[in-house]
Amino acid sequence: MSEKINVDLKSLKFIFDRNKFYILPVVILLSCIVLFSQFIIPQFETLLMVREEAKEASLKLETLKESLNILVNTSEDSLDSQLKILNLALPLNKDFEGILNSIYYASQKTGVKLGSFSVQIGDLSEAKNNEKFSTISISLPIDAGVAAVNSFVEIINNTVPLSEVSVIKIGDKTSTINLSFYYKPLGSSKSSEDIRINPISKKGLSLINKLTGFDNISYSFPKLPGATSSGY
Amino acid sequence: MSTNINLLLRIDEASLKRKKRIKILNFIAFMLLIGVGVISLIIFLLIQITNVPSIKQEQDDIIRKISQSQDKRAKLFIVNSRINSVQEILGKRKDLSKTINTMLEKIPNRLSVEGLEIDDKVISLRAESASLFVIGEFIDNLTDMVRKKEIISSLTLDSLVFDEKKNSYQVSIRSEL
Repeated sequence: MSEKINVDLKSLKFIFDRNKFYILPVVILLSCIVLFSQFIIPQFETLLMVREEAKEASLKLETLKESLNILVNTSEDSLDSQLKILNLALPLNKDFEGILNSIYYASQKTGVKLGSFSVQIGDLSEAKNNEKFSTISISLPIDAGVAAVNSFVEIINNTVPLSEVSVIKIGDKTSTINLSFYYKPLGSSKSSEDIRINPISKKGLSLINKLTGFDNISYSFPKLPGATSSGY
Repeated sequence: MSTNINLLLRIDEASLKRKKRIKILNFIAFMLLIGVGVISLIIFLLIQITNVPSIKQEQDDIIRKISQSQDKRAKLFIVNSRINSVQEILGKRKDLSKTINTMLEKIPNRLSVEGLEIDDKVISLRAESASLFVIGEFIDNLTDMVRKKEIISSLTLDSLVFDEKKNSYQVSIRSEL
């Protein structure tokens, strides 16, 4: 049986009068909770995000400053010379002129007589942009004994363009060596300002200096205008 | 009969307690309100202090300067890439002439090399001598090399024959590098 509750205006007024002082603090408390959850927490998240963004931007700025500093301190003439030396050692394409010159240079220097050989150059316009280097292989008959062949290999190892002797066969009458000349086309690179510019390392500079000591018949090695002018 | 009996004393005590409770509640509410305001203000100021646009502006300036040296940048990139490639080639290529020289040093004077074949894994050698003692000396030298792990790691005697026409012994050996 439902019981009727008789709430008259007087009673309501009494309850209101009795509790009206609680209304303001309770409303404020509720407002604070709402403010905290709806504004402060998102604002705090924004702060963290902004700080993270600022940290990343600062790091990027530092990288850019370093890159700019490297570029400013690097001499373009020195870079050109270094690039020329490196391209002579590791040509950008099939440098058959350089290959033939280095073979004849080594044979003349060691006095060995070369037999007839052929170089399969292939497609000169072929541009492989893969990371690893390509090679041109030659099987070279030489009319010489062990010592002369060995001298030839030593000379060719210290001649540019860079090559590798993979097989040496020395027989009674004739000898054969298998040579592979390296070349590497320019690969595509993602050009982005964000990418850190690295200076030429000391190891790199000493390698370039070492390469200038290699024999080269095709061109004269450019003089390095202060190999360390890049400052690193 | 006293006319000053305070009948409301109990009621006032309850009222005081209630007032005190309201006071505490008011205090907490206002402190909380001030706290929320202060926290909000601090966070707002921290966000304003973290000046990302000025960093980005500086970045743009430097990027503009870098792009003016685009040629130099490309050359530097290529030089570094070429250096790495040349280093890799020089590091991995085997110097077979050095191996041959070391082997030749171990060959006694009266032993003549008739044939030699070498690649990056195996070296085969044919030699002849009129003396078995010289051949034995040669094999001993090579055995020492294997023991010391000097260039070669194994030694196989493929053949040892006597050639009546030449009146000499022919030896054929094979070693793994």
